[in-house]
Amino acid sequence: MTMLEDSPAQSTGSTAQDSSTETKPRPKARRPFRWVLRGVVLAIIGWATGVALAIAIRGGSPTDEIVVIVAYVFALIGWLAGVGGIEAFGRQWIGKKPQVNTDPSWGRYFGFSIDHKVIGIQYGVTLIAVLLIGGLAAMIMRIELASPGVGVVDLDDFNKIVSMHGILMVAVAVAGVLGAFGNYVVPIQVGAQDMAFPRINALAFWLLPPVAVGLLGAPLLGSFNAGWTAYAPLSVVNESGQILFNMAIITFGLVSILGAINIIVTVITMRAKGLTWGRLPIFTWAAFSTSLLAFTVTQFFAGALVLVTMDRVVGTSFFAPEVGTSLLYQHIFWFYSHPAVYIMVIPGFGVILELTTTFARKPLFAYKAVVAAFLGIVGLSVVVWAHHMFTSGMADFLHGPFMILTEAISIPTGIIFLSMIGTLWQGALWFRTPLVMAFGWLFNFLIGGITGIFLADIATDIHLHDTYFVVAHFHYTIVGGAIFALLAASFYWFPKITGRMYNEKLGTLFAIWVTVAFNLTFIPLFWAGMNGMNRRIGDYPDAYAGANRFASFAALILGASFLLFVWNMLYSAIRGPKAGPNPWNARTLEWLISSPPPTHNFVKEPVVVGAPYDYGVEGSVHAYFKDPDPAAPPEPTTEDVSAEVQDEALAESQEEVS
Amino acid sequence: MRRSWVPVAVLWLGYTVLMMWAVAQFNWLPEQWAIEAEVVDEAMVLLQYLGAPVMALVLAVMTWALIAWRSNGANRPDGPPQRDNRTVLTTWLIVTSALAIFVVINPGFVGLAEIRGEPSADYVIEVEAAQFFWKVTYPNGTESFDELVVPSERRVRYDVTSVDVNHSFWIPAFRIKIDAVAGLTTQAFATAEHEGGIDDDINLRIQCAELCGAGHASMAMPVRVVSDQEFNEYIETLGEGE
Repeated sequence: MTMLEDSPAQSTGSTAQDSSTETKPRPKARRPFRWVLRGVVLAIIGWATGVALAIAIRGGSPTDEIVVIVAYVFALIGWLAGVGGIEAFGRQWIGKKPQVNTDPSWGRYFGFSIDHKVIGIQYGVTLIAVLLIGGLAAMIMRIELASPGVGVVDLDDFNKIVSMHGILMVAVAVAGVLGAFGNYVVPIQVGAQDMAFPRINALAFWLLPPVAVGLLGAPLLGSFNAGWTAYAPLSVVNESGQILFNMAIITFGLVSILGAINIIVTVITMRAKGLTWGRLPIFTWAAFSTSLLAFTVTQFFAGALVLVTMDRVVGTSFFAPEVGTSLLYQHIFWFYSHPAVYIMVIPGFGVILELTTTFARKPLFAYKAVVAAFLGIVGLSVVVWAHHMFTSGMADFLHGPFMILTEAISIPTGIIFLSMIGTLWQGALWFRTPLVMAFGWLFNFLIGGITGIFLADIATDIHLHDTYFVVAHFHYTIVGGAIFALLAASFYWFPKITGRMYNEKLGTLFAIWVTVAFNLTFIPLFWAGMNGMNRRIGDYPDAYAGANRFASFAALILGASFLLFVWNMLYSAIRGPKAGPNPWNARTLEWLISSPPPTHNFVKEPVVVGAPYDYGVEGSVHAYFKDPDPAAPPEPTTEDVSAEVQDEALAESQEEVS
Repeated sequence: MRRSWVPVAVLWLGYTVLMMWAVAQFNWLPEQWAIEAEVVDEAMVLLQYLGAPVMALVLAVMTWALIAWRSNGANRPDGPPQRDNRTVLTTWLIVTSALAIFVVINPGFVGLAEIRGEPSADYVIEVEAAQFFWKVTYPNGTESFDELVVPSERRVRYDVTSVDVNHSFWIPAFRIKIDAVAGLTTQAFATAEHEGGIDDDINLRIQCAELCGAGHASMAMPVRVVSDQEFNEYIETLGEGE
């Protein structure tokens, strides 16, 4: 502890750069919704133009699938132009300086801001909203499944709700931690002023609302009912909502790839002086590894959906039932979608390890092994996809290799557990909400991991595949691994992002509530699956009534817990007590600056001189801030392009005002 | 420094014994109606035994952390600056790798060989899936849309295909499953053991296990296991009825 107080870079108390923490009058928002409104108007105009154009060329009705595709593309372009693309990109094409939204009030969250912190919050809030909508779909499913027979929704509607729930939640799990906290935290942890490509970053975020609108709008054309997996040939022959699913998910792939490129380049090129790879905070390592994976494999899902779309609209027969090539779809699909599981959970590993070391007040155990494990998972995850296909009818000789590789991936994953246990070992555990969530995470992911072995082993998978056992297993890994990490991260970085503290009692209550309710919901479903209840069904034999009634009841309690979460977040963001720059007494760079951080993150240049998590190490310092040398001329660096663009835009907007 | 490994080891042992006792005591699995079901269930139980100590270890650390390693306040003293421990890391890697290799061999390859290794069969029954019903064709060419009747103590090969989208042929009581894919013929093997029907066990049914559209949930067909003699009489009379 002593060395922390001695160190010049120590952030506690008045030594921190708390320039923005003194109370200032909040700036008033000036027509904050005008950009979104312009985007909506141009999107509608784009849609109408697309429909008119397509019909003029080939005739037909506005609900024809090819017309919908053209209209969607035009609407997407209209939306992006309207929401800020004209100023951020279009102006440059005619030789003018690009402009971005620099509204200092809360209105900046509704504009084309290139500040990574604004974009992180935009992702976070959007995806939490999607999470709640997906959760609502789950509640309808559990109400329907509370008793056998057809109740509140009929069988086909149930399939549609399952599909909607699946794809919305997959989107949240893929983009949740990485979009919200990858954007907000990574640039600060590496000591940069912003992302490498701030305008691309904003563009990636503004592609996200069309994804949500596309998916949620699909019921207008007859909703997709082929699950989030969209297996062909069912996805070739079902209702037209499938087209909107395909377009939305291809767009979502773009979000993922653009975001991944940004994080990769930022981490490689924009690290602060002295921030070597061996000193990189573990969350940044996780975000970086995940981005490598997302950048490499995301296009395969998009590619599979392009083939499905072509089968539907131009009469190709990649997956037509007659030709027996539907296994091809599954291979391409899982080539993305199995790595996608790791795209979901590796950022979760990062979050949990990051906050465990902070709250255990110990160095991260086996840091290098964890980094090796991340990269090992990235490498192995692209060669295990066919373990989703043990019962698909693929050639028997493929079973062995994929079983070996699948079991092999349990070894790097085991390292994560070792690091977590080793970090907790004899630590000084401070049980704040993030650590309580991390304990919930550990328990859930443990069950997820153990039950995964049953599905990796062919002998048992043949029985368990496509049953509720699988449903319970992947909820333990994805909800337990990714969503719990998203919630934990929300609490952990809440004081940094809002400058205020959440309510600790309500936070802990929520963490315990959500963990208990989650387990009560999904444990009985393991039993149901083993005993012959298959997944994605709106009706089931009476034999499974007991387990389902119990699970449904628990699920409603689980759903209710999120009201507490939302209340705590919203109320505390506005009324919570001031948190100060470093309430957790943590060491990474984001905690050494004020809460919330200043516009360009660092008032003085950060210089990294030591490991990020050397808690308890005498005299250890992670970073300090260099005082600017008054003699040296201000040198323009290649790193703060974003800052320049933003400063210029700010100057222009101020001229406008005056 | 506090010694933590003793209480953690005790907890670990306790949890392991408790979980293994629970695995031995409670059977979560449904009734077995085929030899293949025995293979699968044995594998399930073996994996539960192997998983117990792994799970117990993490739970033991979590429990002891909650009991003994608590502290309060942001200004609490730091924990010991333990960054790494080569022995622990190496041991961990060796043990997890050994476990992974073990489960790949048994029940992995051993189970795989027992379920799918032997291609011979006493009878071949063709199964055709369509939205949303099953059609079975017996060796003598007779067909049924109402129920699947299989002989006991005979190895049957199911040649499965689909006429439209993907389905999956699953008999939970036999623990066999294979997808029905249009344009392909996939195979599953099962040797039923004793006689019975869906009234004895709900899992004596063909259940579609791959999302196939509106009627997916109700795409099931009862399975009846009879003696070899009864089976042959049954398919004869089925032929006469047409």
